[in-house]
Order: sequence, then structure tokens, then C-alpha cells
Amino acid sequence: MQPSWQTPRTALWWMLVSVCVVLALHHGHLPPWLLVLALVSVGWQVQIYRGAWRLPRTLIKALLGLSCMGGVILSYGRLTGLEPMVVLLISGFLLKLLEIHHRRDALVVVYLAYFIVAIQCLFDQGMLTALNVIAGMCVVTAALVALFQYHEPSRGKPGVYWRPLRSSLLITLQAIPLMVVLFVVMPRIGALWAVPKPADSGTIGMSDSMSPGDFTDLGADTKVAFRVEFEGEIPPQPALYWRGLVFSQFDGRTWSQTGPWGYRDGATMQWYGEPAEPWDEQISRRGEPLDYRVTMEASNSPWLFALSTPLPQSRGAALTRDFRLFYKHPIGSEMQYRVRSWLDYQLEAGGLTRWRQKMELALPDGFNPRTRQVAEQWFREAPDTDAFIKRVLQLYNDSFVYTLKPPALGKHTVDEFLWQSQRGFCEHFASSFVFFMRAAGVPARVVVGYQGGERHPSENYLLVHQYDAHAWAEVWLPDRGWVRVDPTAAVAPERIEMSFADLFAENEDFLSESLLALERYRHIDWVNRLRLRLDSLEYTWAKWVLGYENVQGDFLLRLLGRIDPLRIGLFLLLAGLIALTPVAVMMLRGREKSHRDELDKLFISFCRRMASAGLSRRSGEGARDFARRVALERPDLAGEVVAFASAYEQQRYGVESFDPAGLRGGLRRLQKRLGWRI
Amino acid sequence: MEKSSHGRFNQLYQRWMDWRLPARDRIVLRNRRLFIFPTRAGFVFFGLLILLWLVATNFENNLIFGLTFLLAAIFVVAIFHTFFNLSGLSIEAGYTPPCFCGSLAEFGFVLSQRGRRYRDNIRLVYQGESNISLALPGVERVEVSLAIPAPARGWFKPGRVTLETRYPLGLLRAWTILDLNLQALVYPRPIKASVWPQGSRAGADGNMELVDGREDFRSLEKYRPGEALGRIAWKHYAREQGLHTKHYADPVDEYLWLDWEAFPGLDTEMRLSRLCGWCLELTGGQALYGLRLPGIEIAPARGEAHKNRVLKELALFGLSKEGGD
Repeated sequence: MQPSWQTPRTALWWMLVSVCVVLALHHGHLPPWLLVLALVSVGWQVQIYRGAWRLPRTLIKALLGLSCMGGVILSYGRLTGLEPMVVLLISGFLLKLLEIHHRRDALVVVYLAYFIVAIQCLFDQGMLTALNVIAGMCVVTAALVALFQYHEPSRGKPGVYWRPLRSSLLITLQAIPLMVVLFVVMPRIGALWAVPKPADSGTIGMSDSMSPGDFTDLGADTKVAFRVEFEGEIPPQPALYWRGLVFSQFDGRTWSQTGPWGYRDGATMQWYGEPAEPWDEQISRRGEPLDYRVTMEASNSPWLFALSTPLPQSRGAALTRDFRLFYKHPIGSEMQYRVRSWLDYQLEAGGLTRWRQKMELALPDGFNPRTRQVAEQWFREAPDTDAFIKRVLQLYNDSFVYTLKPPALGKHTVDEFLWQSQRGFCEHFASSFVFFMRAAGVPARVVVGYQGGERHPSENYLLVHQYDAHAWAEVWLPDRGWVRVDPTAAVAPERIEMSFADLFAENEDFLSESLLALERYRHIDWVNRLRLRLDSLEYTWAKWVLGYENVQGDFLLRLLGRIDPLRIGLFLLLAGLIALTPVAVMMLRGREKSHRDELDKLFISFCRRMASAGLSRRSGEGARDFARRVALERPDLAGEVVAFASAYEQQRYGVESFDPAGLRGGLRRLQKRLGWRI
Repeated sequence: MEKSSHGRFNQLYQRWMDWRLPARDRIVLRNRRLFIFPTRAGFVFFGLLILLWLVATNFENNLIFGLTFLLAAIFVVAIFHTFFNLSGLSIEAGYTPPCFCGSLAEFGFVLSQRGRRYRDNIRLVYQGESNISLALPGVERVEVSLAIPAPARGWFKPGRVTLETRYPLGLLRAWTILDLNLQALVYPRPIKASVWPQGSRAGADGNMELVDGREDFRSLEKYRPGEALGRIAWKHYAREQGLHTKHYADPVDEYLWLDWEAFPGLDTEMRLSRLCGWCLELTGGQALYGLRLPGIEIAPARGEAHKNRVLKELALFGLSKEGGD
């Protein structure tokens, strides 16, 4: 088949550039065979254009399509899910290149390119990606312009390749103000149905279980976990225990959460905006609450982090039965939530029911016999529970070492840690401490989350990194409820007093894996300042762009005074008009302004310059005559003056095309000759 | 019944068009004359926007929201670009050469603008059958011709043509309907006749008839203003005999008559077609020919002007002569 419609050369060129842009943007998650397909279809399309090959027949197209499906199944093992679907879409886009019979087919290619370029934002939402994607959109728009511009029957000048891009850049720039207005005003409604999330990245940060005996190497992850903006002062470092998960189950090796079936008094989730569950009465909140806003990075898990004891203030968040926060779905991209926390609190101080007692005391049989024996003995010897806890903490304080690279442990993880290796980090301390307590009959559980954070020196927010991850213990005491005990603080109090990174900045184990991380060089002042500057930029981006729906309400309220449809509509209209004013002005000026006027303006400016050099044009003297006279009077200026005058004459009356830049250049050269004296 | 109401509607539409877009010789495209509406591609683009909006909403992805709004804003900006690609343009009918029935009438148009805005890809369309693309790449004036099949002899008035543009993104179409009083003279379709025109001896008395020519000197006549200087008899002038011009004549032995009566039994159009064919055959030759139609006679002569006169008579025979140049 021969195409009935020939893709114009420039359009073909920009479509092929669009293909490159699409592939470059998505390179992170494309299987290698897709590149082969891209080469085949681009090469084929070029051959069609040159008239050497024909459009592929239906059979070949069907085979290519089927092999793409096969390729997706080979690469991913399935056709559903985000990545396989995107790869299928890109394959379809590449195959459509071989099916251009009419201009509308070319349009399908261009529209698909728009969609695929935009889809990249599902995988990465960084500032750099955003810029790349907008640049990609400009290229695709250039392809669209090329399809609709006038094509000279003869081959045009090399400039014709750039014209579509120039138009596209102009249109995009003119569109950006209106885009900002729409972005600010247009309401966001929540997700309408569930969608597949990017699957490639596993859980980042917190895992939903903890196995302290396994080989671990902490302190390699410099990523930001979340940022917190407090409405007042940031509380002191030792108060910043970001509660994430609560582990009450231990199987001898691994601590894990109690499933929702473990609790028997009402639903385990108390969603924001819904009536309180019966167990809410067991929380006693006292004193002034603390309000803050947390901006989470993608974690691919639903845990939210907050100071005890929290109450969520954002839609989609819930308070759980074990007094932590939970989000309705795993957090696949940056999101924000607000929390109100009472630092003075009592949890379940009224007493634990029997089934609760049993849950918080359960220990697997056949593990850590020595610890169980010592625990029972020490509890008998102690006058009260407080003294008992103090004695255990004293044990840690006397002979334990805090290290980021502890040895792996065997079957009896707690025994081996407590009585042999005595080297470890927070997980080991929390795990062994809770085991110790439970063995003595004191209800206890492990809490994991983050501890501390880094205060941004100029912006008023707190940065919590992945390396701030921490585990601590909670013991239940009669009349006082759950009390936080951090055994790590007994060993390394500075771990709690200072931020983790400050503490380990000089330690060679810290960040030993990431040589390039700016974190590693934070003791160098300018590197540190650069790092913090970059972070505040990233935070602004996350807060105002990626999580805009969280601030939109406040922002519009402050802007408009009140939010109602009328005001929003009026604002949209007004701001939209203002955003479009530059476009309208540009268009109207382009229409009314004659190049003749501009040329004459340049000529007048030329005459003024000559007059200031003592050479006035006589009235009625033409440009050429004037130049001739000047050349006679001032031979040193002859070259420039004659060149300018003849260029002006040619453009004004002759056939030469208008070239203001050339004339201005001539004026500049002339001015140089005259010397800069006005 | 239905047909008549359709006709009534057509009539109303035409009257409305005459009021809304009155005919002019030179039309400057201003807001009142321009229309703009999304194309089918534009509606598909809307679909793309909705799709992207759904993706953004469901993935709760503000970057995709931003891109959706960027594309929406590009659509709005494209309205300006498309509209101003036509706005401010002036258009007038240019030279339209006569043509033969059945061939294409090439209507000339002159598009011009004040200033040198780059106006890309504008199309002139006639009833969806004929179109031509053009651009004003930073020039003040461009001439194009639009070829429209000429349906019948006489004055061909195609009526309105559409001037449209979809530049730059094809999302919108701005157009106007132009009534420039277009007309083209259409000669009859030439048919080569099987017989040769009847000749007649030049002059009944057997003398050689002379017609204006350049071979033999015939007479000296008094100068009339406007006569070529080359013909002035300078020698006579120098002898102070006044200003005279020399006249020459060519001897011809016969006139040829393109005669209506030469084709008995044929209908009007067929006769005219054959006469037209004869006329074309004779043009460029030495023969002098005249035309005889019922009620019309053109004296024998030759040359381009004579041919045009003959063809025009053939074109307009039996028709109203209204709408001449």
C-alpha cells in the first residue's frame, strides 16, 4: 500500500523527535526489546517517506502487535498493572507510526505522544521530571504545528525545521499563566476508582515487621521520609518520637503487628470525620494540643507518622486502636496530612482487659530461656515495677555498645544479644527490652517510627530522614497506662538528644554505601548549606505543587476571603482574563504594527545619531543622497553610513525582506565609529 | 412540500448571508466577518484532556493535573492564534482569465495585510470541491488563483468562497465566507468541426479586398491623436504639408465566415461549440474571419483582440450580457 497522504517533511521530523522524547522520558521502565521496535518503526517510516518501502501489510502489523504482547508477557509476566500497560501503550504508539494513511492518523500519533509524555509523571514527580515533561510537551506541540503549517511545494530553507518549535515554545509560554490560574482554582475531587500503582519500588522506609537478629546494616538511606511544619515552635528533640507502627506479636524471631481481628472492642480504625469508636474513651488528652502538617514522601505503605497521642485532621486518615495513624491506601506519591497531637496523655490507663493483657504479654515458647529466668528473678527482687525497669535499663547502660553494624544473631536472639554480643542498635534494644518485660509479666510492646529530625535553619520545618528510623518500647503500668521507655536512650542518650546525622557524621559506618550523598559531607559547611537549600526547594515543590490539594482550601480562603462557587467563578474569570492579556496584546500589536513604521523609526534614530555628530539631514533629502553627502564630508564613516542607508532603502522600497536586527547592528557599528558621546 | 420549505429556508439563509456578509470588492477581515469553532480534532483533543484529567484525579497526581491544565490553556491560546491568523487580512478578487466550458476557471485573489505578520497556512475553499493553500510568510501581499470547474458558457459567478485556517494546532477552524462578486467569462466548449468554414470571395466585383495590414501602402490620411508615431509621414511633415499617417493594407483573397447557418439541425450549444472550435483553429493563421450569428455580425479581421471579441459573442450568445468587465 502506498500512503494516500504524505507526511510533510518537517512534521515527520518532529514526530520522530517526539518518539525519541517519549523513549527518553520513559527509559527507566522500558524493556530493551521496545528499543528494537522503535528502531524498526522509525526506520520503516523514514523509508516510506523516501518512497523506498511501502506501508506494512495487515499481516505484518498483526504479527508485530502480537509480538509486542508476547514481549510484555515475557518481561512482566502479565498484561495488567501500570508498567505493562504503559509499555503496551508505547508499543501501540510506535506501531501507529507504520499506519499513517491520512493526516488524522498522524494526529492520533501526536495525541498519543501527549498522553504518554504526561503519564511519565506517574513514575516520578521530581522538579526535574516536571521540567523534562514540559519540554517534551513542547516537542510534541511542535509536531502538531508542523502538521498544520503551510508547506512550500519546494524544499524549504533549513529554518523551516525550527519554525514549528518556535511557534510551539511561544504558545506554551503564553499558556503557562492560564495553566497556573487553572491549577490554583480548579477543585480536586478524590480518586473515583482504584488504579494500579507503580510496582517497581518496594516498601521504602518502614517495614511492617522487625527481625532484630537478622543481618542488618543501618544508616545507608539518606532519603527524606517526611517533613513537618509546626504551627508553633518545634518541640525539643527528645520529645520527637514519631509513632509509626506498633508490634505486639513475637514469634521468636520477628516482631509484627496484631491483625484487626486481635482487638474485640469496635472497629480498629477511627476515620477522620466519623464518630468516635468506643475505645476512644480510653485516651485521655491533656494540655495544649500541637498542630502540624506532615508532608510524606512516597513510601508505598499506608503508615502515617505522628507524635503521641495523635488525632488526624485530614481526610482519608484514621486513628487506629493502637493509637497510631493510618492512611486509606499505600502512599505512592507525595502527600500531606494534618495532625493534632497532645504530648501529655494517658492511654488505656483505666486498665487492660484480660484479652488485652494476654495479647501484650504473649511470648513464644522455647525461645530465650535465660532471659525469661533472669526476668522472673529480677522482678521478684525489685520492690516495684519502676525499680525493675530501672535495673534493666541500668544493665544496658553498664555494658552495651550502640553500633550500626551489629553481628547477626542465632536462634535465641534476645539471649544472645543480652548476655553475649551486647552490641546493637535500637531494634535490638527495643526487642530485648520488651521481651524482658513480658517475661516478667509487665505488658509491653515495640513501637517503631522515627526519632528526632533535622531542623531546617532558615525555613521553619523539620526534616526527618530514613536514617532517623527508630524502635522503642512501651510498657503498661497500672493507673498510668502505656508509658514510653526507650532503652536505646539508656545506652546512647546522645542518640536521642542530638539528631542522628549529627551524632554519626564522623562515624565511618554512617552512609558508607553512599559516597555521593550530600549527607555524607554535611560537616563541610557549604555542602551542608547547599543540601539544605535544595531541600527547602524540594519541600516547597512538594507542598505547593505535589500536595496542592492539601493547601488549596486554605490558600483560596486567604485569597478570596470566603469560598463559594460565585467567588471562585469570578476569580477564575478575572485571573483567566489577566493571564490571557499578554497573548491578546501581542496578537493585536502584531496586527497593527507595520514594519514600515518600524523601519522609519530606525531611520529616524539613525538621523538623530548623525545630527548629534553634526551631520543633519536636510529636509527632503533622501536616504541615499544624505548618505552620499555624509560619505563626502566624513569619509571615515562612509562605509557604515552607506551600508545602513542602502539596507534601509532596500527594505523600505525594494524587495529585501524586513530585517530589523541587521539594521540595528548597522546602527551599533555606526555608533561605535562615532564614539559613545551623546 | 418538503422541497419548497427547503427552498424557503435556503432563500432565508441566502438573505441572512447577504446581510451578515455583504458582497464587496475588497474585504477586510474583522471580528464581525470571522467565525471560529473547534474542529473534529479539537473535540478529540477535549477527549484527551478528559482522559488526562481522569488519570490525574484517580492517581491523585498534581503534576498530571498541571499538564492537563497546560494543554487546556494551550487550547485557549490557540483560539487567539487561529483567529488572528485571519483577522486583519484583506482580500480582493484578482485577475481571472476567461476559460472554456468544461475546463477550470482560475479565479485570482489578492490577499494583503498591513504590516508583515507571519500568516501561515490559510485555505481558500469553494464548496468543498476546489481548494488552495497559501501563506503570507511575513510578506504584505500574495496572489493566488483558485481553479473552479466552469459548468456552462457565459458569465460564471461561483458566488461565495470560504477562507479558512486551522493553524497552528488544527484544534480550531476560523473561517469567513467571502462574496467578492467573482465572475469569469466562460467560452463555449470548443468542438472541432468536421467541415471547414465556408469561404466567400473577397468582394463581389472580383477585386482583391484589402484589409488593414502592413504589406502594401494604401493611403495617406490625416493624423489622428493616438496613432503610432512610427506611421507618421515625416517627409510630408517636413515639407510642411501637415501631419499625416501612412496606411498599409494586406491583400486577401477570401474571408472566412464563422456562420451560424453552417450547422443546420444542431442545437444552439453544439453550433456555438463548433463555431468556437473554428475560431481557435483560425487564430494565429493568416485568414481573416468574421462571425455571423442571428442578429449579430462581426466583420472579418484577425488578431488577439478580434478573437476575444468573437469568443465573447459566442460565450454570451442568447444570454444576458449583464456583468461585463
